[in-house]
Amino acid sequence: MALVKPISKFITSTPKIGSSNGLQCTKFFTVRMSSATTPPPTVAAKKKKNMKKEIQESLLTPRFYTTDFDEMEQLFNTEINKNLNMAEFEALLQEFKTDFNQTHFVRNKEFKEAADKLQGPLRQIFVEFLERSCTAEFSGFLLYKELGRRLKKTNPVVAEIFSLMSRDEARHAGFLNKGLSDFNLALDLGFLTKARKYTFFKPKFIFYATYLSEKIGYWRYITIYRHLKENPEYQCYPIFKYFENWCQDENRHGDFFSALMKAQPQFLNDWKAKLWSRFFCLSVYVTMYLNDCQRTDFYEGIGLNTKEFDMHVIIETNRTTARIFPAVLDVENPEFKKKLDRMVVINKQILAIGETDDIPLVKNLKRIPLIAALASELLAAYLMKPIESGSMDFAEFEPQVVY
Amino acid sequence: MLASTALNLGSFGGPSLNSPTHNLKKPFLLPASKSLHLLSASKRLTNWKSTTSVRTAVAAVDSSDPTSKEEEGGTKKKYHFVVANAKFMLDEEEHFQEQLSERLRLYGERGIEQDFWLVIEPKFLDKFPNITKRLKRPAVALVSTNGSWITFMKLRLDRVLQESYEADSLEEALASNPVNIEFEKPEKWTAPYPKYKSGWWEPFLLPTTAKV
Repeated sequence: MALVKPISKFITSTPKIGSSNGLQCTKFFTVRMSSATTPPPTVAAKKKKNMKKEIQESLLTPRFYTTDFDEMEQLFNTEINKNLNMAEFEALLQEFKTDFNQTHFVRNKEFKEAADKLQGPLRQIFVEFLERSCTAEFSGFLLYKELGRRLKKTNPVVAEIFSLMSRDEARHAGFLNKGLSDFNLALDLGFLTKARKYTFFKPKFIFYATYLSEKIGYWRYITIYRHLKENPEYQCYPIFKYFENWCQDENRHGDFFSALMKAQPQFLNDWKAKLWSRFFCLSVYVTMYLNDCQRTDFYEGIGLNTKEFDMHVIIETNRTTARIFPAVLDVENPEFKKKLDRMVVINKQILAIGETDDIPLVKNLKRIPLIAALASELLAAYLMKPIESGSMDFAEFEPQVVY
Repeated sequence: MLASTALNLGSFGGPSLNSPTHNLKKPFLLPASKSLHLLSASKRLTNWKSTTSVRTAVAAVDSSDPTSKEEEGGTKKKYHFVVANAKFMLDEEEHFQEQLSERLRLYGERGIEQDFWLVIEPKFLDKFPNITKRLKRPAVALVSTNGSWITFMKLRLDRVLQESYEADSLEEALASNPVNIEFEKPEKWTAPYPKYKSGWWEPFLLPTTAKV
């Protein structure tokens, strides 16, 4: 569930603005990969290479999140906030307790067989996909687990929901990690917990970011699932067959953040909230687009057109997000996609500079105008006329709405 | 960045994306109501019997579930619902189909009797003039004896109206006016997969009314 969780769930690598080694810079976690059995030579070689890479973080890198737990306690303290709509939380708790996917994540021998068949570049892409997805799910587990622990006293219902969501995330991470074992690899999650740098976000921003992460995650999973159901010839690894049920968890997690925001209308109802909503939408959509456009091999490998897939996911996520955020981007305006495509071009140029033989100073000087161009595209996309949105529960015009 | 974007706020306006008004702009086919066959009296009777046993089973499940608040006190039972136009409920919100299927699957796995249904053009709407005057037709309601779940579904769907009513029998509760549902193909379809097939909702209708 990190800010870029949805993205990182599928992205096999992270583009780095202004970095020459964008494709490798985030593989820090492979450093501590322990081989379940003898790793194939390609993986061993990669491991060695990555040992030398520094852990670099940029806006586009997946992160682990932490927040102001004291503020969280205050926000959901039922003593302080008498107006908390507990009916919604209790309804959510019932839904999470139902545990729809209790018996869903059961593996079979298809996995190992499919993994053995995956050779060449596609094999590497899948390994990276599993690593990053696992890390992302695990980062959700850590944050939710801690929130479940910290809110136990002040709001047991909200706390229990967080704990149940961490159950889901742990299940997902575990399933992905088992997938890695098909490739004779395993992620050392205990090490990740200690070694990762945690990014601090105030609760308000955690809400925006995780809401978007969960909902965009749902749309990515369901889109891949339904595409592969229609085109089974691209079903090259059985994990995708689990996505239909899996992503219902993501969708429910998003609903919970929706309820959390509704319980704190100050995060939804002023001009600042509108600006932040647009900002988070833009960051999440752009991050995904740039990431995915760098890793088209993965999407093409499963028979998808990367840009079309991304635009579909962005449009649907934006539609969903408009049910709660007070403002969203006009992503269906063709101008928005044009801007995204220009960002992809600029980002490619920035990455190309890193691959030249110039000395670092020259590289940096060459990057300056490109980074400025990228920033200007971002700003222009941010400033596009937004769409007012939000939950019907808050709409002033609600009495006039025809359903 | 914030200061400069604040200037842009003045240009806000227009209806929100995906608001019901937005949905309504999309034309959809209002079919000449082709009626489903009315049930014969004998059919009704057999159905009533079967639904009675269903209700007993539901009550048994509820009592073991601490979060379910429904009690079967007396003959009247409380039904909760969310309602909106058919286009929204059955055509546009595809995750809704997934959710209902997921729930039905789980009930099957755990041997739980179904306690939720879709009702096309429900008769009980006549009791809610404040709802009907704000509703595009044909309307579709999601009805359940589990009020808490309906609250969750309101949170999920958002663009729906929520209420509850009482009824003596399941058949009375879910009675509907016959109408044929058809949707036009969407103008823009960005997905790399086809839409769910029309009629996906049939397993969620009360069995006797589903049969034409």
